[in-house]
Amino acid sequence: MTAPTTSTTGRRADYLDRLGASDEEGAIAVALAALDAGLDVETVLLDVVAEAQREVGERWAAGSWTVVQEHIATHISERVVSAVARHRPADPPTGIGRIAVACLDGEWHALPARLLAEVLARHGWEVTFLGSSVPAAQLAVHLHETGPDVVAVSSSLPSRLPAARRMVEACRASGIPILAGGPAFGPQGEWAGAVGADGWAPDARAAAALLENTLPRRDDGRVDDVSREEQALLQTRRPELVAGLAARVRAGHGTDPLADDQLADDLGHLVDFLAAAVYVDDPGLLARFLRWVGTVAVPGGLAREELRAVVEDLVERLGDSPRTVALLRSEPVQEACSPAAAA
Amino acid sequence: MSEAVVVTGPSHPGGEEIVHAANPAAGRLLPGLVVGTPVADAGHDALTDAVVRARPGFETEVAGRVLAARAVRLDDDGAVVDALTCWYLRDVTEERRGSASLVRAQARAQFLAEAGRALHGVLHLDRTLRTAASLAAGTLAPTVLVLLADGSDVVRWARADRDGARPHTGEMTRADLRATPRLHEALTGRAPVDPWVGVELAELPVWHEPPTDRVVAVPVPGTVVAGVLVLVGPDLDDDVLPLGEEYAVRVGTALSAAALYREQAHLGHVLQASLEPPPLPDETSGGLLVGSAYRPARESLRVGGDFYEVLPRTAAGRTPFLLGDVCGKGIEAAVLSGRVRQSLHALRLVEQDPATLLRLLNVALLDAADLDAPGAAVPMPRFATMVLGDAESLPDGGSRLRLATGGHPPPYVLHADGRVEEVDVAGSLVGALRDAEIGHTEIDLAPGETCLLYSDGVTEARGGPGGREFYGEERLEAALAGCVGAPPQVVCDRVLQLLSDWLGGRDHDDVALLALQAPRGRHV
Repeated sequence: MTAPTTSTTGRRADYLDRLGASDEEGAIAVALAALDAGLDVETVLLDVVAEAQREVGERWAAGSWTVVQEHIATHISERVVSAVARHRPADPPTGIGRIAVACLDGEWHALPARLLAEVLARHGWEVTFLGSSVPAAQLAVHLHETGPDVVAVSSSLPSRLPAARRMVEACRASGIPILAGGPAFGPQGEWAGAVGADGWAPDARAAAALLENTLPRRDDGRVDDVSREEQALLQTRRPELVAGLAARVRAGHGTDPLADDQLADDLGHLVDFLAAAVYVDDPGLLARFLRWVGTVAVPGGLAREELRAVVEDLVERLGDSPRTVALLRSEPVQEACSPAAAA
Repeated sequence: MSEAVVVTGPSHPGGEEIVHAANPAAGRLLPGLVVGTPVADAGHDALTDAVVRARPGFETEVAGRVLAARAVRLDDDGAVVDALTCWYLRDVTEERRGSASLVRAQARAQFLAEAGRALHGVLHLDRTLRTAASLAAGTLAPTVLVLLADGSDVVRWARADRDGARPHTGEMTRADLRATPRLHEALTGRAPVDPWVGVELAELPVWHEPPTDRVVAVPVPGTVVAGVLVLVGPDLDDDVLPLGEEYAVRVGTALSAAALYREQAHLGHVLQASLEPPPLPDETSGGLLVGSAYRPARESLRVGGDFYEVLPRTAAGRTPFLLGDVCGKGIEAAVLSGRVRQSLHALRLVEQDPATLLRLLNVALLDAADLDAPGAAVPMPRFATMVLGDAESLPDGGSRLRLATGGHPPPYVLHADGRVEEVDVAGSLVGALRDAEIGHTEIDLAPGETCLLYSDGVTEARGGPGGREFYGEERLEAALAGCVGAPPQVVCDRVLQLLSDWLGGRDHDDVALLALQAPRGRHV
């Protein structure tokens, strides 16, 4: 990895300013000026655009930017990627191989995958970008029709991991190796192997480097029948669990529809993260989510003080699922519920 | 036949190891063995080595026979230096050959089973071809070439030079095969492969280096394709040919399936491409900003009954747009949505006023439905709801929208202060009654204001905590109110994302959103 020079740092700050001002033309101008000043496409896309977007994500997670501001910034960055690609088109593919780049089903953040597609095209790959939230069935159809050498899937949310499994299966059936990328697969990619991906890369540069060589085929992952069953049960019982939990932890539940929706949203996410944690059998996945709960103040949202009651209630309701209960009672999860554990 | 026995030991205490005795059977198994001579001169290295190293036994091949020997020490009193050793020898050629052929048969069966799985996993012609070459390389022969003709003028090939390497691929035309008539003939699939075809193959532009080893060609049979599997330098003692023929049969079925799938997929693609919502103009010259979102109910199909489009600005300076919903789902609904769009394209040539246009479309759809074959195998949907209109720039930078609707949920306007207002316009289903009621109105968007057109798949999406509740107008209005200041594409993305959260992975109807925004002027 090349260290970003001071000039990229400065340009990134300028770029972030333009995003903050919702100034699409300005953002495009910063990116194109960087290209014209001699920075290569990969540096502009990854060290300016992607790094700025990471900062945007942090501002959103910290509550200093609204979700709409984040959406606008992301939209602008997508336009910037298009403008950069038009300004400096990739050379024709070198024959290194064909790759399909897709976002996991349910993953709407297409930008990281889009960046990967652009970077790989500049490493000589013939790239097909399938877009955001690609259903496994659509991926399977694409594999049959175009027969790529490799598939790369991107996702930011670990709660989408069970969907990753269906995509992995689509690739396995076709004998095509699959590379996983993005924070959904764990801080060190530990959950990529669990769902049976053949490789993991933290970012586009690492992915390009990894793909220089043939991906070694890994085993089928460690998701067993127990995990699968308990995760499926959680998914089926999700509505009932969310409704029950809401009534249990919130005294005034049922009086303010907007607050109710927000609480239901948060509890729904919590159940999704629990299901994903059970799926890859790692309490750390749920603990990370729990530590984040309540760090952004959303009116009516799930509060840190309500976490312990939620987890206790889940233990009671899910007595038939031993692995789920063990996970809820595990030390990392219990500790993450404490008010002091906030991220 | 009695067991062969050889006795070895020192000629005298501490002396050189010699052959003390050997029975006639041993003489037959170890020809040249002379009693009394030093073991080192016996001419059988395996025996010499076993004696010198005091091994418990040895196995060796003599004159094409496999011999197994085990040692028995004759006086095991610790005086090793003086010990005589008796070697019992057995001819185990048949035994070994038996188990070796069993192992080979198992390996062959496993190879074919795995090949079947790998070949049939992908219904893609080129990939199947590459897989066919790379699976066989290293097993059937060091280098494997597969040539494939699929009825067109193109002959594809894939060559794998060793186990695990990425295969090389390429294409030739039939004209390139003029110098190789036998191969040309073989690739018609009508004639058996001429054994002399191997001689021609060196001429083909498919090699890294022309093969110097023996070349064997095996026909690849198929119903819609014909191919030839070429093995370069196969080990012919090893029953490779029957295995290669079996393998070629599997390759042939897989390639045929892939070729058939390709035809069907192409048909589907052409249909799909004609029915998918066309991409929005990147910048409408009228200054109107647009954004859209689309999720068909059957996502692997990628098309559905909802449709929208924004057309280039007309000579009259208006940008026409449209969003509608055909009653029904899936490909049947998509076909009607295509008919609606095509009818409108034609009608626009003679009429631009949205309300009049929609009345004409109503009649056109009714007439077309009368022409549909009665009792058709697939019942076709015939009704649609839609909002159609056009936008015109105003001197202050705003936009004036003319809207006409038939049976469709009224659009929303998002004002700059976050207020969300429903446009007061309604009408009846299009394509149902000859005297359909068409509602129409005109609204002005101030700079930065957004008009959102949507299909009822949005408000009627069932989800939420209980999984059965409609998303509803109220939530849509709240979602829209949260989008002040966002460009139209972000408005659509945001609403679609909130809707997906609401759905939580459950099934849904087609969903379409189209946002139209008057530009806000230059950034300060």
